[in-house]
Amino acid sequence: MDEKEYQKMIKRCLRCSICKWIPQVQIKSQKYATACPAIDLYNYHPYSGGGKIILALALEMGRIKPSEELRDIVYKCTECGNCAIACKFLNTLEPLEIIMRLREKLVEAGCGPMPKQKAYTDAVKNVNNPYSEPHENRMKWLPDDIKIDPNAKLLYYIGCTSSYRRKEMAIAAARIMNAAGVAFRILQDEEYCCGSPILRTGEIHTFQEFLNKNVDIIESKGIETVVFSCAGCYDTFKVDYPLYRDYDFKVCHTVEFFNELLEAGKLKLTKEIPISATYHDPCHLGRNAERYEQWDGEEVKLIPLISINIPPKPKRTGKAGIYDPPRNILKKIPGLKFIEMERIREYAYCCGAGAGVKSAFPEMALNTAKIRIEEAEDTGADVILSACPFCSTNLQDGISESGSKLKYYDISELILMALGLEPEKLKHVLAEVA
Amino acid sequence: MLKKQILEQFQNLVGPENIDDSEVMTNAYAYNWCMELVNCMEEKEPIPFSPIPKAIILPSSVEEVQQIVKLCNKYHIQFKAQSTGLGPWNQPSSENCIILDLRRMNKIVKIDDKNLYAVVEPYVSGAQLQAETMKYDLTVHMPGAGPQVSPLASATSMNGPGFTSPHTGHSARNVLGVEWVLPDGEILRLGSTGLKNHPDWFSGDGPGPSLRGIMRGWAGAKSGIGVFTKVAFKLFPYPCSTKFKLKGISPNYEFEIPDFMKLYVMDCKNYKYLEKVFLAVEEEEISFICSHLSGYGLGAIFSNSIESLMDKIPIASTHAPLVIVIAARTSREFEYKQKVMNKIMAEFKLENIIGTKYTPNSLFYAEALRSNLGLHGFIATGGFQSSKGQCDSAPLCLNTTKMSIPLKKKYIKKGVIANDFGEGVWMTSYESGHYFHVESPTLFDQTTEKSVKGMAENMEENYQFDLIKHLGAPFFVEGDRMHDKFGPHMMDYHKWLRKIKKAFDPNGIADSGFYISAK
Repeated sequence: MDEKEYQKMIKRCLRCSICKWIPQVQIKSQKYATACPAIDLYNYHPYSGGGKIILALALEMGRIKPSEELRDIVYKCTECGNCAIACKFLNTLEPLEIIMRLREKLVEAGCGPMPKQKAYTDAVKNVNNPYSEPHENRMKWLPDDIKIDPNAKLLYYIGCTSSYRRKEMAIAAARIMNAAGVAFRILQDEEYCCGSPILRTGEIHTFQEFLNKNVDIIESKGIETVVFSCAGCYDTFKVDYPLYRDYDFKVCHTVEFFNELLEAGKLKLTKEIPISATYHDPCHLGRNAERYEQWDGEEVKLIPLISINIPPKPKRTGKAGIYDPPRNILKKIPGLKFIEMERIREYAYCCGAGAGVKSAFPEMALNTAKIRIEEAEDTGADVILSACPFCSTNLQDGISESGSKLKYYDISELILMALGLEPEKLKHVLAEVA
Repeated sequence: MLKKQILEQFQNLVGPENIDDSEVMTNAYAYNWCMELVNCMEEKEPIPFSPIPKAIILPSSVEEVQQIVKLCNKYHIQFKAQSTGLGPWNQPSSENCIILDLRRMNKIVKIDDKNLYAVVEPYVSGAQLQAETMKYDLTVHMPGAGPQVSPLASATSMNGPGFTSPHTGHSARNVLGVEWVLPDGEILRLGSTGLKNHPDWFSGDGPGPSLRGIMRGWAGAKSGIGVFTKVAFKLFPYPCSTKFKLKGISPNYEFEIPDFMKLYVMDCKNYKYLEKVFLAVEEEEISFICSHLSGYGLGAIFSNSIESLMDKIPIASTHAPLVIVIAARTSREFEYKQKVMNKIMAEFKLENIIGTKYTPNSLFYAEALRSNLGLHGFIATGGFQSSKGQCDSAPLCLNTTKMSIPLKKKYIKKGVIANDFGEGVWMTSYESGHYFHVESPTLFDQTTEKSVKGMAENMEENYQFDLIKHLGAPFFVEGDRMHDKFGPHMMDYHKWLRKIKKAFDPNGIADSGFYISAK
């Protein structure tokens, strides 16, 4: 969103509160009608998407100044984008983009990001990952028996969180590709943070440095396709990178890739997994994984005061999210009974971890996860599945904190089990992570 | 900001996390939709901010509300209560005011499916309540503002017409028992909730004289007469099967239209004919929706973006269209309703243009059932407000529409409001045509001073026009200035309203910016 559009949009919030709810026609119960973790937990209107648009306007008009209080409200947001889906059911505002721009402005004013997020950003600058882990340990997750083809045209980009914190996801993804006979390579010590944590906390310039570094490396190796098991890295490469720089490789998430392998018969799920499971759509893989479409049209005055875009300007409404591939995979797992939650696909409730919330406001992340875990429990499922390392950590924290009997698996772990591969090895890794 | 000693007392009542008097929070709560218009009409700077409240407080129970109001009386601080908070009526009129955001009071207290009523707290939305009542094959009335707003606010404090008004009536007529914190902090329970033995919510009247008229009158007091903390209102049979299946991604959902549901749009060509058809259809008591909209409005209810309005030219070029939705729970009921419609169409020599000239997306039917059509007034994401707001007979409502066209055209010509050929109205019947509502939705540009001033002038001239031409009172007759303008023409009602205000609010603590002061 450019400055002109930002200035135009912040004057147009209707304060209708649509942003606080999932699309009205999708509301199935009182309990699971809401869309936004921030307003659900903190109640005051400025925590909502529309409320943050008002803050943006008040800041521009000089009615309020950059302050710690303003910063806390603006950063108590997972940037999950559910407000934007709800708003754009009828309207033309972009609450999520306004929030991201507002964060950039707070950074420019020396008021953002949150101190703990700043530490993450510094760590990315210093050691290429937000966890301050030594860069040389990045590939330590890699078991000796995984086959890597250093000349493959397909790259598996592991990401910081799977490399250091959710190793079971990386191992499962690699083993599945081995099982399917897919030749893939990894960047070894040339893999760096995708930049998502710094982009989403408003440090746009540092983000661009990492973007350029990553694209340069991948393009220099003649890579044709990059596969991600991290929804955050996938979204950043797929949606955010092209806003700054074009690249000449394809990107896909492991759920898309594994679904294709299943459809092509290269993977066969034969082992019975007798569980009932529900699936949590990660925001980065779902509604936010929709690219911005180039629009070269013009705004034409239809009648006085009403202008329309010719041709119509594409709205990002979550339509290009990756919703069906994970569900197709689950349908192919023998013995698995799949049950949907109430809030799914483009209006799925957030796990609570995104956009620096887990680091700066751990209690917000945890309380949001508990809400989502309760929703999963209400389906009667034994297991909650997802496809994102951030969701994995946060939902598992939510399970522990709420004393839930639900079990969490990444979808790739379940594929691994259904392939009949040795889950003991995975269990070993899980124990290590725990 | 509040004095420290006063702030601490509020904090002791609700907990420190539930009151905030900071610059950031209070400024955010000073903003609302159409506030620039209100400011302009009061000859203030046309910005979308009201006076900044002293603090925002979030009570969680009637007891907390009561204690807050008593503290307000003690320290002579005014209060303004809001639930879902859409519109300038939620805004304080002075800086000596705190806002009670009732968001934490969000329980559905009761759904009585045998006696057809529900009891709710302020922050239950219409869509939430409807989702729960659908489990009993029931539905609820929602105002045109949309399913995201509070039915309690509409029932107690606002006007309340909606697209389903032929079937679900009018907020003023649906309200039953009420729990009400008066401006002096006393709790008043209206109707059968006040019974000594077996108090319950099923009636809004008695014991003794009914106070429903005093509570809300024609269009509600907008918190100027206290805080409503629970309300019971009528439920209605869901008009068809409650099976509700949507596919696809927002906003392009595909809806599995229930078996017994049908849409009719008939172009009546002129207002006289429209009146006859309107009355004929409503006399049969078969419609779930029965509305007249202008061509633009008609296009808008079938569109989910301003761009997609362009595809609606065949339907937007109608002259006096009538939109009717019938729905039924059995094939026999459906057949009967269709037969009636066929007979009316034959009698008036009209055609249903749905299915011939135009076929809407299936989502229209879902939005009709979930009371989402009113929100389509916002598809331009621009300034939008209604002048008018008559609640009267069909002839008067249509006469108002017809007579107001030249006036609206004057402002269209000035380029300050959008061009709807002066015909931009929404008119619905209430309770199967027992009476009617008409308002004149008008689009303006809230970001330019010229348009805001023009729209304000347009509204003022409309009010004057309504007075001179005896067209009744619009529903935004609010505040001293407007009541003093209309009252002398309407049996001096404003004098009685002031007496009510004085009796219920002797200290003038309930903010009366959108009601009336006791002066």
